[in-house]
Amino acid sequence: MPGVGLPPLERNLPPIVLRNYGKWLDHEEPRPGVLKHVAESGEACYTVRAGMPTNARVSTTLARKIADLADDFAGGHLRLTRRHSLELVGVDPARIDELIERLRGLGLPVGGTGRTFRNTVSCTGWIHCQFAATDAPAVAKAISDELYEDFLTERYPAKLKISISGCVNQCGEGSTADIGIVGIHRDLPRVIDEEVARCEIPLIVSVCPTGAIRPKPPKSVQVDPERCIHCVACAAPCQGMQIGDPDTDGVAVVVGGKAGNSGNGPAFAKFVIPYLPNSPPRWPEVTRAVRQIVEVWVKGARRDERIGDWIARIGWDKFFEKAGLPMSDKLLDGYVLWPMSARTGVRFHW
Amino acid sequence: MATVELEGKTMELDEDGFLQNPDLWSETVAQYFADQEGLGQLTDEHWKVVKMIRGYYLQFGVAPMIRKVVKDTGFDLKYIYQLFPSGPAKGACKVAGLPKPTGCV
Repeated sequence: MPGVGLPPLERNLPPIVLRNYGKWLDHEEPRPGVLKHVAESGEACYTVRAGMPTNARVSTTLARKIADLADDFAGGHLRLTRRHSLELVGVDPARIDELIERLRGLGLPVGGTGRTFRNTVSCTGWIHCQFAATDAPAVAKAISDELYEDFLTERYPAKLKISISGCVNQCGEGSTADIGIVGIHRDLPRVIDEEVARCEIPLIVSVCPTGAIRPKPPKSVQVDPERCIHCVACAAPCQGMQIGDPDTDGVAVVVGGKAGNSGNGPAFAKFVIPYLPNSPPRWPEVTRAVRQIVEVWVKGARRDERIGDWIARIGWDKFFEKAGLPMSDKLLDGYVLWPMSARTGVRFHW
Repeated sequence: MATVELEGKTMELDEDGFLQNPDLWSETVAQYFADQEGLGQLTDEHWKVVKMIRGYYLQFGVAPMIRKVVKDTGFDLKYIYQLFPSGPAKGACKVAGLPKPTGCV
């Protein structure tokens, strides 16, 4: 039905992919930024990958130039990967060098395949979102600039995925990245009575995961500072609940997450640095910490050992020591504190 | 933030045209919103939906779930869309003088 649901696959897949759909045998990475998928039919599909600005946000000028490249080299097909990299699929292998030169000419790095730094995922951050504790795209840009060379060549033991979340909702998937930057609030929401009066107060009360919010007659709410975990949930139903404070907001650094089945399988990242300040425009504290962690991993990890698996092998004590990060018992996540956490939450009882 | 003069009172509307102060609602205000939505003169069936929604909001402080609206009015969702083409949230809740329903995230 027009305008509803997914567009028809047939119209949007490159012909070579459509012809061999579900019948792919294997793939190789002949060089950084180039993928070669081989089908049962014997056909080989070449893909060229280029890094994009955060959230693949480009000017219309650049977008048109990229579209021109897609027309010229990929039969008018292009795609964005899950991490917002640009891919031109079904490129003639004889023209790959030419395409790479054209992409570089547009200022786009060609790479991000294999054991490289991958494109940085980020949510929209405080540009558009009322929950954000940080400018996630700017942090992504600062980190990508810091590790730019590692997008182009395979220097690492394994792939490195860094993701930036503006808040603990993790729209930026920081918690499942090798290194995640998570925007955090450290203070209570401000309650604006006149705004709250216009909101659905039962929703504000019920959405709080720790039951920290009570109605405050006649038409407002109050937040219990002992129970509030600064999680942004109450800001969703009501714009009178204002979370976000330039003085106390910042970011935390988490490491060891991954979604893939390799090594020890999927895992959430764990907190290793509880707080770094927001220092626009380049967030030097964050880029320094990321560089520190990356270099220690590069030195110590085995081939194909993602950060989480490397830490699992050497142990968290060794990780903190090697990375030169202070450790505290508040950073432990052995699920020992889980029953206490669960009883503080209001979502279920036992 | 727009304002409108009705019944000698100045009322503030949010950027989507919803009444900012639900206490200022009256049937005249409801008809004003209906005119804005292009509904014409409100019929008894419109009023049934509007009164159910407003009554629920005054009692519970939240907008009713759509299933509740369907059950209490006896109108199915398709018919409610016929009465209020903008839908139960944007159309009927606005006419009933509720604050803009929240959604997303």
